[in-house]
Parts: sequence; structure tokens; C-alpha cells
Amino acid sequence: MNWWRFVVANEIRKILAFRSDFWVTFLGQTLVLILIARALWQSIFAANNTEVMEGFTLPMMTLYYIIVPIGNKILTGENVGFLAREIYDGSFNRYLVYPISFFQYKTLTYLTHSVFYALQLVLIYLLFNFFTPEGITLNLLANLAAGVSVFIFASYVFCMLAMAIELISLWADNIWSLMVMVRFFVYFLGGSYMPLNFFPDWAEKILNYTPFPYLVSLPIRTTMGLASSSEIQQGLILLLSWAILFHLMAKLLWHKGESRYSGVGI
Amino acid sequence: MKRYLRLYLYFLQFSFSKAMEFRVDFTFRILMDVIYFVVNILLFKVLFLHTDLIGGWTQEQMMVFVGSYLLVDSFNMTVFATNLWWFPSYINKGDLDYYLIRPVSPLFFLSLREFSANSLMNLLMSLAFFIYTLVSYSAPIGMGQLIGFILLLINGFLIYYCIQMLMVLPVFWTHSPRGFIDLFYSLGIAMERPDRIFKGWLRIFFTVVIPFSLIASYPAKYFIEGLDTAALIHVTLVSVTLWLVMLYVWKKALQSYSSASS
Repeated sequence: MNWWRFVVANEIRKILAFRSDFWVTFLGQTLVLILIARALWQSIFAANNTEVMEGFTLPMMTLYYIIVPIGNKILTGENVGFLAREIYDGSFNRYLVYPISFFQYKTLTYLTHSVFYALQLVLIYLLFNFFTPEGITLNLLANLAAGVSVFIFASYVFCMLAMAIELISLWADNIWSLMVMVRFFVYFLGGSYMPLNFFPDWAEKILNYTPFPYLVSLPIRTTMGLASSSEIQQGLILLLSWAILFHLMAKLLWHKGESRYSGVGI
Repeated sequence: MKRYLRLYLYFLQFSFSKAMEFRVDFTFRILMDVIYFVVNILLFKVLFLHTDLIGGWTQEQMMVFVGSYLLVDSFNMTVFATNLWWFPSYINKGDLDYYLIRPVSPLFFLSLREFSANSLMNLLMSLAFFIYTLVSYSAPIGMGQLIGFILLLINGFLIYYCIQMLMVLPVFWTHSPRGFIDLFYSLGIAMERPDRIFKGWLRIFFTVVIPFSLIASYPAKYFIEGLDTAALIHVTLVSVTLWLVMLYVWKKALQSYSSASS
């Protein structure tokens, strides 16, 4: 059964249902975020009268913020409350009659979004580098391929984390704000707001014990060619460990909470 | 006017009783807002570990600015944001009909019906932080300086509302689930940056076309270093124009509304 093909095709149709909105939002968000971040760093570099800060030049910083907005989309998708809302209003029922488990279905729909955004990253990244003096090199393509792979794996880990948290809605009425909190943590402590090199050393050390740097900073650094192969390998192993942990948490929550689901909403 | 005030009091009653239905979410939202504040403050604290000035402002001055935009944002989250979040669904499902037939301004009703009671704590916290940044400000503060600052911030609330509306109103034509509200929140980061970092056409964009810089950065600039007459005229002109444009688009949007079959 190629059920996954139907699921993927259906998700792509949903993503492209409102094309004008989709492209305006995508281009607007990406472009504006890059320009605002560049303006901020340009001002900081100028105030310090320097060309390098914490190993980043201004062009590197620009590249970093080109990856950030699309990277965030690859990682966290758009569907905060994607499971909690359905549990709340009872529309979760349909997954119980699907021929596949809702875990598989939800993961696949989530990853379809991630892959779609990853294609956008490839497009924008190549376009940007096309106009640089170095142009598009084989090395750059290899880094991009590695970075996109790490991003998609990170999005799988985030999906497991989101699933575990959203299943709390079997006990709580509405956990939308809990998911937003998780996003704040992931973005800030992961390195979406600024490269983690700018954090104090003690904070960086502590963060290495959390999944955040591996969800955001690692894929960005890999795409930019700043991460060594051993760093990537170690990061992937840690991501896998977190994925297993979150998956087990989600399974446990479902096992414990399944009997609480009434089928008519909460 | 009295009628509208009485109506708003009913909205408040309704919103508070609704918020108390979701007690866990109520608590989480307060926590969420605290984290949002902390993240915003920490962001600049970390940046100031590497520089003495951002957009020409010191850390102390920057905190006044941060306090200003957190206040604007929390006011918006408490008063307007929930209403405008659900706005597209009213149009797409045809529920707007119920608002159009009532004997009050539909714009008033749609923009203010849901007071986000769970964000009220957020508003109070941002107000406390805002006052703290002013109290701990080392330079002397004059009464005129303070009144001007507050008036410009109130103007900032309205600009923020107008821009948000202008991002939602295209739903009347596109019938998409959220309009350009995601774009609005992304663009909103411009409000959280001092206007002086923007140069050239980007500056024109954020001070005239989509004037996010006038919301908190100009008021803070007025407080910190003063604004010349030209800048004050600029703020007034852009604000009035934006308000008129929003009302014009709203009228055009209503004309194109085709009820439940939208």
C-alpha cells in the first residue's frame, strides 16, 4: 500500500491551496526577517568598528539569518495545536478509524511540510550564493545537502516533542500556550535569535545538555559549512537520543490517556 | 458613546467568565508571557555583552525602548489580537452577517468583542516593567517629556491596530484561513528594533509605508533624545493617513462581502 503517497499529495495540496497568500507570506517573511536582522547586525558591527564578531563577519551573519526563518519553518511547521485542537473538539476520532496509526499519519504530514520548506531553503540559499563572488561550488552543495538532512531530522525530533506535549491535552483543556512556550525556548536557546557563540560560555555549556542547540544551531552551522563532521555525527546521535526519549514520552502519554478520550471532545 | 462603553463592559464580563473555563490554559498563558518578556529582555542583554551601543542607544536607553514595545504588544494581545485572529473565520463562514445586522459599528464589535482576560496579567507585567525602566532611568525626566512619550505610545497602539487590520482585511478577497496575519507578526519584529538601524529605502518602508518604527521606537526616541517638529508632523501625518486607509479598505471590503457563500 502506498498510503503515504496519498497523505503526502494531500498535504501538498493543502499547503498550496492559497497560493497567493502562501508566496506573499513566504517571500515577505523571509525577506523582511533577513533585512531586519542584517540592519541590526550592521549597526552593531559599525558601533564596534570591527569586521569580525565571535567568528562571524557581516556576510556570514547575513547568511545565518537567511537560513533562520526558513529553518524555523522546517523545524516547527505551522501547526501549533495540531493534535490538541483535534482532541479538544473530537475530530481526533478519524485517526482511530484510519488504517494506519495516528503517530505515523501525523509524523508523515509534519515531515511533508518540513520537506516542502526545505526545498524553499535550497532555492533561496542557491539564489543568494549565485550572486556571491564564490558562486555555487560543489563544497557548498555538499554542505547544503548535509544541512537540509540535519534540518529534516531535527524537525522529526521536534515533531516527537510536539506530539508528547500536545497529548497532555488529554488531561488539560487547552495547551496552545504551552506549545508557544516551547517554541520560544527552541528559538532563543537554539540560536534563532542570534548565533550561540554570542551567549556567555557558561550558558553555552549548559545548553549543550539540552536538545535546543541541536535543533536549530547545528543544522544552520552544517548548512553554512561551519560544523565539523565529528560535530555533525555527535549532534545526530544526540538528536536520535532525544527523538527516542520524546517518542517514548508520547507513547506513554497516549497509553495512559487513551481511555480519557471520549470521542465527542472534551 | 455611553452605549459603547456599556457594551464594552459586557464584553469584559463575557471574556472573563470565558477565560475562567480554561484554567490550565489561563495559567500557561501567564507563564508564556513571562517567558516572552524574559526572552526579549535577555536578547538585548546578551547583545550588550558585545557592544555598548545599538542603534545609538545605551543599554539603559534600550530598556526604555524594550519596555515600550512590550507594553504596546501586550496591550494589543489583550484588546485586539484575539478578535483579529478569528476575523478571517467570520468572513469565510459568513458569520460576519451577525455583526452587520447589529445596531452598533461592526468594526467596533469585531475589533473589541473579545477582551483577552488571560493576557491581562501580561499587560500588568509589561506596565510594571515599563514603569520600572522609567523610574530607574538615570537622567532627569520632565513632565512634558513624559506626557509626550505616553501620547506617542497611545498613537503607537492605534498604528499597530491599523496595520494588523490591513493585513487581515485582504481575507475578504482571498478567502484564505488567516489572511496575512503571519506576515504581520513577522514584520512586527521591526517594531522591536530601534528605528535608527534602518537605512535608505528600508527606513522609508518602516517609517512611512508600514510604519512599525513609529509604534515604539519614535516614542522612545522622543523620551530619550527628543523629536524635532518635522518628526512630530511626520508621525501625525502617517498615523492619520494609515487610519483613513484602513477605514477605506474596510468599506471596500464590506462592499465585496458576499455573506455565507463567500
